[in-house]
Amino acid sequence: MKIITLPKENLTEFIGYLHAFGEIHAPTKRGDKSVVFAPVSDLSEIELNYTRTILPLKKYFFKPVDVMFNFYADKGYEAPTEEADKKYVIFGVHPCDIHGLKILDLVSNGRYVDTYYFAGRNKAAIIGLDCIPDDLCFCRSIGTDFVDAGFDLFLSDIDNSYLVRVGTSLGDDMVKAADTLFHEVNKEDREAYKRKSIERRKSFRTEIQLQDLPEIIDLEYENEVWHEVGEKCLSCGTCSMVCPTCYCYAVFDELNLDASSGQRKRRWDSCLFKDYALVAGGHNFRAERSSRVKNRFFHKQRGFVTQYGRPSCVGCGRCKAYCPAGIDIVEIVNKLRSQTRV
Amino acid sequence: MSKHENCSDCQNPYTPHPARIIRILPQIPDHQLFQIHIRFEDQGKVFTYRPGQFVMLSVIGVGEAPFSISSSPTHEGIIELCVRRIGHVTDALFRLPPKAMVGIRGPYGNGFPVEKLEGNNLLLVAGGLGMAPLRSLLWYTLDNRSKFKDVILMYGAKNPGDMLFKYELLSLLDRTDVKCLLTIDKKDESAIWKAHVGVVTTLFDFVDIDPNDTYAAVCGPEVMFKFVLDELLKRNFAKDRILMSLERNMHCGVGKCGHCMIGYKYTCLDGPIFTYWDAINLPEMV
Amino acid sequence: MSKPKVGIYGLTGCAGDQLVILNCEDELLNIVGALDIKSFSMAVSESDDDCLLDIVFVEGTVVQPRDEEMLQNLRERAKLLIAIGTCAVWGGLPAMKNEFSQEEIKKKVYGPAGDIFKTTAPQPLSSFVKVDLSISGCPIEKEQLLQAVASLLHGDLPRLPGYAVCTECKMSEYTCLLVEKGQLCLGPITVAGCKARCPGYGQPCIGCRGPVEEANVSSEIEVLKEKGFTWVDIQNRLRTFVASIDPLQIESV
Repeated sequence: MKIITLPKENLTEFIGYLHAFGEIHAPTKRGDKSVVFAPVSDLSEIELNYTRTILPLKKYFFKPVDVMFNFYADKGYEAPTEEADKKYVIFGVHPCDIHGLKILDLVSNGRYVDTYYFAGRNKAAIIGLDCIPDDLCFCRSIGTDFVDAGFDLFLSDIDNSYLVRVGTSLGDDMVKAADTLFHEVNKEDREAYKRKSIERRKSFRTEIQLQDLPEIIDLEYENEVWHEVGEKCLSCGTCSMVCPTCYCYAVFDELNLDASSGQRKRRWDSCLFKDYALVAGGHNFRAERSSRVKNRFFHKQRGFVTQYGRPSCVGCGRCKAYCPAGIDIVEIVNKLRSQTRV
Repeated sequence: MSKHENCSDCQNPYTPHPARIIRILPQIPDHQLFQIHIRFEDQGKVFTYRPGQFVMLSVIGVGEAPFSISSSPTHEGIIELCVRRIGHVTDALFRLPPKAMVGIRGPYGNGFPVEKLEGNNLLLVAGGLGMAPLRSLLWYTLDNRSKFKDVILMYGAKNPGDMLFKYELLSLLDRTDVKCLLTIDKKDESAIWKAHVGVVTTLFDFVDIDPNDTYAAVCGPEVMFKFVLDELLKRNFAKDRILMSLERNMHCGVGKCGHCMIGYKYTCLDGPIFTYWDAINLPEMV
Repeated sequence: MSKPKVGIYGLTGCAGDQLVILNCEDELLNIVGALDIKSFSMAVSESDDDCLLDIVFVEGTVVQPRDEEMLQNLRERAKLLIAIGTCAVWGGLPAMKNEFSQEEIKKKVYGPAGDIFKTTAPQPLSSFVKVDLSISGCPIEKEQLLQAVASLLHGDLPRLPGYAVCTECKMSEYTCLLVEKGQLCLGPITVAGCKARCPGYGQPCIGCRGPVEEANVSSEIEVLKEKGFTWVDIQNRLRTFVASIDPLQIESV
């Protein structure tokens, strides 16, 4: 992989060059504490030292509410007029969120391809940025604290410069467009990177023991902890909305006042909603809140592993950070494990 | 940008094909058989499917829902859906005038593993609306009769008035290439009913089955399934020779929306036909 | 197809939901064109208050015998009865007085003038008649009303979202007032449809749309207590719009 450096004082200028590659979106402040990905025009608006945004990148490619097609009683179904070929550069994406996108790529692909997702995904360049974890981050135990693919460029902070890994041909074009801003990697940079890497590793404080977790979950399928969590869960949907890998959606038709035309839309759904597994006629396969909580966890940490060989959790900590009831996946795992040991 | 290289070639799997309701055949109260013709832009294209597969049907302005196909792929040109009026989509479907346009996507799901079933005896056990998906398999085997050994159908309904495809099935009673056993739970004094009376499991007394070269396909309400299963296991059927069709909430039919997930299987992709062995290895299923 | 005959009526209430109908400025001509409006006293001077109706929209709460009579009459006249607004769906603000003695409170508000009329404990419409569809909100959301009218014209009942305000709040990526700012927000147990308007303006959800199905009120109370709110604060907020959620019954948590 091509690796170069970008002195920090050149970042402003580099961002200027990126405009040629699409509309730049980056982490920006919302309110006092929150950070969200939003359009920016220059570096001054970018929050480089953020921990996590409220929503992950899925909001760009798998929108909270999206039009699937228009329908007409006489003409049938028609694709909506496509947005002009607008390109995006998403700057400052942390490794966990890049892994989140890789998981969404996986599930949107397969025998049937989610064309809506890839229509946006194929138009976005991803520029990654490394991060310093807080107590809620457990990406290191999931193996998502580092990425070696899934980005066009990836910037790692090495004090006075960024070490820049070039992941794609498009990333290389970006570097070439601002050629004079970048330098070759020298010995000092290499040492700085290795030193920072150790520092960063030491800063992870929260761990989750992933190995054999699927088996533990099978064993503890009837564990009391599911009822405890079910009692606390508000079914408010927050965890699913903020999760980088929650991809469930509900489909609904919205009718115009002429009562003969309208739009089919889809919106983010959550398996914690009461009607999620409800079928026509009234039978609900997961009527109990505890069964819904268990199912969400089971799918991410057990089912997905069987299906794709890895959990569909990237350790970003959003679910704990935003759950009003403070439900904590790490705590659930610890409870399941300690009870297995007894 | 790695992502998906050939997206421009990809078909949007969510857009329905225009289709027309050719004929509506009332069955029993609140159940109708819809004969549907699907129009493709490519005139030569025909809608091919396997018994046990399903389609997503859209009623314009109301929404979309999954329906198992009741016709056999051996009868080309149209598909038949046996629908119970039970939710908002079916309610709207029942209000449509004849010849109305609907939208169809599919076929989806695995369907019955017909190649695997060939060369074996087939025991079809249905209860209530469970006859809808099994009818497809029934006619498929009868139209490919030489490929199968004995074909037995057991179908139970509450009373003669609740029996789907009643006249069609009654006409099978005289055939020698299929053993058709029909039963009703309770005989109504006034009704003329010459077939069996009693729950569907009582029909097992009338057949002699070798479980080693027989596949059983079971479809019906949960209670019935439980008793039929006991009966089959008692007769030493292997768990992977018992096939069942599962129902779940579905919004996409193509393994994306998540609703039909059971543990780690999508009912819409990995099912709706599961062996009993598959099913007992899924959480939430026993 | 003939236009459906429609009546729009208000029981005791502020008429804010009827005002939402009038505020559908861009769509108003289409609505009037598609419906045969027989009675809408807020907007139309002529009205037929005896004819049979296909659809009746009813706003407000039953707080006096007169309201109940009117409601029963509307139910008899209409094929579909649609409750609009949180008052009609849940009892709304008027039902706040249910925990006091009706006579005492009347005396306090009206003095001796109160003797000339009767009041009863405010109740939602569903306590008296079959309600075919509930569109809650204080006031109702224009989009939900238009969706409902479109579906009704098509012959269906609309399916309105049953999830919580939190879901829409997160979709809009608003700062969480409950978790990040520690405010008394009822977003987790209040039914969505408002696109989390209040949190979008930095104001916590006060539950004006009524609770979600199977609202986990005890967990919400637990969360709010941990944030340091007193039982009185929590109780007052919970009871503002929905008297039927009786926090007293779960005080022990």
